[in-house]
Amino acid sequence: MEPILSRNFNVPDAWKISVAEKRGAYETARKVISSMKPEEVTQQVLASNLRGLGGAGFPTGKKWQFLPKEKTKPVYLVVNADEGEPGTFKDRYILERDPHAMIEGIMISAFAIGSHKAYIYIRGEYVEPYQHLQSAVDEAYSKKYLGKNIFGSAFHLDLVVHRGAGAYICGEETALLESLEGKRGLPRLKPPFPAIVGLFGCPTIINNVETMACVPSIMKNGAEWFAKLGSPGNGGTHLFSLSGHVKKPGVYELPMGTSLREMIYTHAGGIRDGHQLKAVIPGGISAKILTANEIDVKMDYDGLRAAGTMLGSAGVMVMNETTSMVKALLVACKFFAHESCGQCSPCREGTGWAYKIVQRIYNGEGSLKDLDTLLSLAGNMEGRTICVFADAAAWPIQSYIAKFRKEFEDYIKKNSKTKAFQTV
Amino acid sequence: MNTLTTLDKEAEKIVAKYDKKNAAVLPLLHLAQEKVGHITPEAEAWVSKWSEVPVVHVREVVTFYSMYHQKPVGKHHIRFCTTTSCVLMGSEKILDCLKKKLGIENGQTTPDGKISLEEAECLCACEMAPMMQVDEKYHGDLTEEKINKIIETLK
Repeated sequence: MEPILSRNFNVPDAWKISVAEKRGAYETARKVISSMKPEEVTQQVLASNLRGLGGAGFPTGKKWQFLPKEKTKPVYLVVNADEGEPGTFKDRYILERDPHAMIEGIMISAFAIGSHKAYIYIRGEYVEPYQHLQSAVDEAYSKKYLGKNIFGSAFHLDLVVHRGAGAYICGEETALLESLEGKRGLPRLKPPFPAIVGLFGCPTIINNVETMACVPSIMKNGAEWFAKLGSPGNGGTHLFSLSGHVKKPGVYELPMGTSLREMIYTHAGGIRDGHQLKAVIPGGISAKILTANEIDVKMDYDGLRAAGTMLGSAGVMVMNETTSMVKALLVACKFFAHESCGQCSPCREGTGWAYKIVQRIYNGEGSLKDLDTLLSLAGNMEGRTICVFADAAAWPIQSYIAKFRKEFEDYIKKNSKTKAFQTV
Repeated sequence: MNTLTTLDKEAEKIVAKYDKKNAAVLPLLHLAQEKVGHITPEAEAWVSKWSEVPVVHVREVVTFYSMYHQKPVGKHHIRFCTTTSCVLMGSEKILDCLKKKLGIENGQTTPDGKISLEEAECLCACEMAPMMQVDEKYHGDLTEEKINKIIETLK
């Protein structure tokens, strides 16, 4: 397969505009902005079956069409570069190695939705990616690809890079808007959706880095070409982040719908150090876990939903047979307890209690009853909060215990220091 | 206040980039922290002045985000990843070595004020697990040996 999103990842200095332009950057934006109508761009993106690559998988063109038809307020385009889902590192590659592909995608998308101001919200810890990105934006300005009368047209676009400050929740799009407005990152109650009331109370489209980087190739090669690359309803290729106990961890660009088995054994070289596969988290820490027997699954939005989990951010974390599921759940619960924004009580209290209970089990002070308490707690978090963070925190609890219950029970029985608490 | 007023020109530029002044709170705090090292009450007042956001809301923001330091940290700040892929790749052992080498625990600074340590959640560089961030830079595929080398180069 010819790489599309990753075509410049190993080209030295591709983040510099001189190198990027030699590789064709901005040619498509020039063509689109000087010869096409905005509605035509939206139609192409719609027909390409491009789905938001930040995790939710919502069709991008459809999202754009939610904007009000009558424009009484400015429209904003906000690019979510707040990559934070554990197990995911694909956007960092684009930001650091090929930022011009994303900037070109932003130009075309802003043109399509009639936005004249775009913000890129990049996670605060990404300092080096930020430096490359900011320099790329500055270079695009100096070439007059950003600013007034782009390519001699009537189209204007200003692009601001905004750094976050260390909060996982700001990857949730409405928390991101709050943060961009200079506030704590507390998710907003929806509706209204951002397309109607977004940044500064104005209509706003929020798209992921990789989604933006797909747009130039769609416009260059056509919607049909892009749709055919993937599986039905899931257009294009996707950057999969593979990590954990594989021989070759890294970012792999593969067609949507590639099987998980192929990803682990063919592309990432299989399990390292002669070990066996035990479990895989297929889409970032929030996604429900799959056992070694469940890896013949298509890696796209629909395939993983059918398997009872989700593609999420496509962060694939692979675990070998030496991995303790109790420990894995402890780490996940610590993460969610640390990152809950604290706005809704089921999440604020639930993530804290879950962490404490799993810690108790891990320290050999747990009882078998704790497993049911955890499941009941998780059930009371799911669907009861403003955003899906609480659901995401509940899924590892539910899936690790459901699929590895015997291991949890054996651990409790074997390690319990307090015999009296062993049984129900 | 004196140190911060030297940043007024830069603050003006930052505020001008946004359609609303309150959007400048985070970048102004980053700027103040780069200069002062942590967020002091004076820095909060200065950010409040430029963003026209009440100082109590600036304070809220400072306490919400993990990157703003509410007390002085070392000249070099280490964020050590403690999330799933790093743990799978043996980060806990390396973290213990690092703590022993530095003689400090999570959230502490070496007595000479040189290095501070923070246990962080996923820094999204799982392909190089176990990993840590020293100031701006990511370091991956950490071993005890590699950690010792990195620490020795910090001045």
